[in-house]
Amino acid sequence: MAKLVGVFASSHAPLIVRGWKDVSPANQESLTRSMTEVGRRIKAAKPDVLIEIAPDHWVNFFINNLPSICVGMGEEHEGPAEPWMKDCPYKTIKGHPKLAHHIVETALERDFEPSMSHHLTLDHGFCIPLWRGGLDPLPPIVPIIFNDLEPPFPTVRRCLQWGAMLAEAVRTYPEDIRVAILATGGLSHSIGEPTMGEIDEPFDRECIQHFESGDERRLVDFLNERLPTIGNGAAEIRNWVAAHGAAGKRGFELIGYCNCPEVYVGCGYASWNLGVRA
Amino acid sequence: MRDYWLSKLFFDLQSSPPLGIEYRGDRKKILDRYPLKPEVRKAVERDDVVFLASRVNPYLLRFYFVVAGMPEAEFLKKVRNAGAESAARSSHG
Repeated sequence: MAKLVGVFASSHAPLIVRGWKDVSPANQESLTRSMTEVGRRIKAAKPDVLIEIAPDHWVNFFINNLPSICVGMGEEHEGPAEPWMKDCPYKTIKGHPKLAHHIVETALERDFEPSMSHHLTLDHGFCIPLWRGGLDPLPPIVPIIFNDLEPPFPTVRRCLQWGAMLAEAVRTYPEDIRVAILATGGLSHSIGEPTMGEIDEPFDRECIQHFESGDERRLVDFLNERLPTIGNGAAEIRNWVAAHGAAGKRGFELIGYCNCPEVYVGCGYASWNLGVRA
Repeated sequence: MRDYWLSKLFFDLQSSPPLGIEYRGDRKKILDRYPLKPEVRKAVERDDVVFLASRVNPYLLRFYFVVAGMPEAEFLKKVRNAGAESAARSSHG
């Protein structure tokens, strides 16, 4: 049987790549330290496959056909399409169709109905944390796209349940492989709105406290109440919620937080201690 | 509210760098391919961020103005004023 060997979360602000030279030295140091540490921990977990949860920034989907959740089933995925990601080393990214298939089957058995894609393009949301985390070569990736961009969104509670279902899918996968999960996005930020550029650090700190406490009801209530009141980018915290569900809602450890106005994002980095031996 | 064809224009432009280059060279030629409502087309032609903001996803709005070549500082100023301006426009009927 497969084993879940690590659960991680990372912000993915585009300006970490596109506007890096404009980031202050102190924030560059903070972001680099956190992204490197997430990458180091993923590598230390030695995953044979990495399940990655991220939004799609209008690369694969449009409003004529917009899945709430889509699992990438392909043997191979495309690297990022954004012109400013041209230096990203991942031009094509190997998938893991068998695990992806098992995830979708498990989802359907548990009354989830994900969309499926046999060929996805993995945009900056997927690739920046991998690239800046120093993951080269990459393990095969099973990408899972959560709609965090265009309301209405999957509910916070459903994302938590999705995470628990993912952990079950890993546990019941019949091959003896090591699987890690990386959720990307968040924390607070606002894109293309009147509040663009605003970072709500008190919100971010409180959100982190709720992940640390492991109190499911308080986390869900907090996000249900506050997500609609702050910048649209914070919707991506749903991906962290899924990771939290996969980790059994315990063991959250903040690796780093950087209120980084130069990239418009309250950048957060975390892992969950699963008590798994290497 | 989402304006489908406006959203499609923005989506296509940010999806295709060659189309973006073509658009910056001749907006009219590209705009003619989309069945935009007259008031929407006018708003695109005059870079009316406030009008457009209420009709597309905010990420697409942001990506569009990057492709269209609007300087970041100008976009930030316009989008940050969008809330107040939108309220003012509503109150004047």
